[in-house]
Amino acid sequence: MFYDLNVPYSANEAHLSRTLAFISELGYNVVALNHSIVGKLPPQITCAIPDPLPFKDVPPKLEIRRRVTLTLTESYQNARLAELARAYDILAVRPVDERTLQLACSSLDCDIISLDLTQRLPFYFRFKMLSEAVKSGKRFELCYSQGVLGDSAARRNLISNATQLIRASRGRGLIISSEAKATVGCRGPWDAINLATVWGLAQDRGFEAMSKEPRSVVVTAQLKRTSYRGVIDVVYGGEKPALPEKDVRAVDGGEGKGKTKQQATTGLKRKAVNEAVAGADARVEAAAKPISNREAKRRKHQARLSSSDAKEGATNGRVGGGGDTALASADGERKEAGLQPAMEAG
Amino acid sequence: MVRIKHRYLLVNILYPDAKYSPLRPAATAGDDIPYTVQFRRPSPDQMNGGLLMRLIRDGVVELFGDYGSGKIAGSLQVKYFSSATSTAIIRVSREHYRLVWSALTLTTRLPRPVDQPCVIQVVRVSGTIRKAEEEAIRRARLSIRRAEAAAKSSSVSIAGTIPTASTAAAAGDDDFDMINGIEDPDELGDLDDDDDG
Repeated sequence: MFYDLNVPYSANEAHLSRTLAFISELGYNVVALNHSIVGKLPPQITCAIPDPLPFKDVPPKLEIRRRVTLTLTESYQNARLAELARAYDILAVRPVDERTLQLACSSLDCDIISLDLTQRLPFYFRFKMLSEAVKSGKRFELCYSQGVLGDSAARRNLISNATQLIRASRGRGLIISSEAKATVGCRGPWDAINLATVWGLAQDRGFEAMSKEPRSVVVTAQLKRTSYRGVIDVVYGGEKPALPEKDVRAVDGGEGKGKTKQQATTGLKRKAVNEAVAGADARVEAAAKPISNREAKRRKHQARLSSSDAKEGATNGRVGGGGDTALASADGERKEAGLQPAMEAG
Repeated sequence: MVRIKHRYLLVNILYPDAKYSPLRPAATAGDDIPYTVQFRRPSPDQMNGGLLMRLIRDGVVELFGDYGSGKIAGSLQVKYFSSATSTAIIRVSREHYRLVWSALTLTTRLPRPVDQPCVIQVVRVSGTIRKAEEEAIRRARLSIRRAEAAAKSSSVSIAGTIPTASTAAAAGDDDFDMINGIEDPDELGDLDDDDDG
């Protein structure tokens, strides 16, 4: 499974369908369409990307997610980030300076931190800051398309920043994506991995940055939105089969027949029969259950303890005695439990 | 005497844009051709091994300068180029194949006499030319099958285009199995490699 989590969304249908087909042809399986927001959030937050895409020839094997990238500017309000996150599948933030990067790494609840690597960044990345973000499940994004399409300065900056990012993050928690504004900017997954290898990322890390890490982004983002406290999610609850009326009656009839038969054999009422059956079952279970090694050891240990306690009980009175009675009662219970099936059998 | 080891890159030229489609020069849009056939269409006639060689050299010079181009100059060779399938096999020395690979990746246009936007995808890195060849054949087959499936599924009648697509082999390679890794596992497997001393 290869992921490309940054394909800019354009309303131009022909262009978008061609790009998606091309990405699928290159061998990607999951794609996130990206919508960028710069500046203030609109008063009504809605997903800008229509849910079933408006054209019909979307490649059938391609899974499509919706992502929003919010540029963190000076006058940024934290309050509506959760609302924005709910409207899309994936939330990415784009810090512009060190302060906002610090904010994004530490406190903001986002999925991806996407830096504009084509500019000369006026600060260094520090491992402490990045590792804090990676620990809390955020991922850093390397977009290669600007290096492919852009001019020589953009490429130089991209290589420089990518190298810095790889060095500072020690190759962990990175994802590689395209951010291809034109179809020509997309590259095959292995080609992108090779580029990252040339920039200093080990090949296995590069492969993870194309497959494992973006998957974790997609899955955790989905869990955050749909699950109960990010722990439990109902993937498929199964259909409740609608029982037709006739079947219900048939089942009832069957039960009735069985009851009468049982009553006939035992001569007891239904409740009594059921209780007897259940009780017998429970006892048989208790008797048939073999004692585990651990349990046997524990019993042996307790037996030894109680015997030694009995010896010592004479010398140091209360504590030993208390333990003794407790153990004895516990043993007694167990004996009872053991005896019951025997009585039943008798 | 230690033999010089090589890597063979199986390379595939894709054309993401519709404008230059040689299959239907008259039709402006060419909408009825499935996308997979459009992307993997035959290269223009001017495109050949020499041009590919020039493209790689220029790319490496642009990216890595004199150092890079000097390093690869001794071993770089285009072993095979088919403009019908837009497939090529390129030989480089094992130490420097990544330079050539990244130069190919960062190519966006074919050079002057052809002058088309393209995406070059490396689909296999192999220690022997035979493995690369087998892979090329396998992928060509797969992509013909894929094109046929796409043609069947699209409701438009393209009876005219499909025979040309499968016989004149608008079929490049396919990338179904790229997930399992791109490089051959056998690092020292080029024993049956008979083209270098």
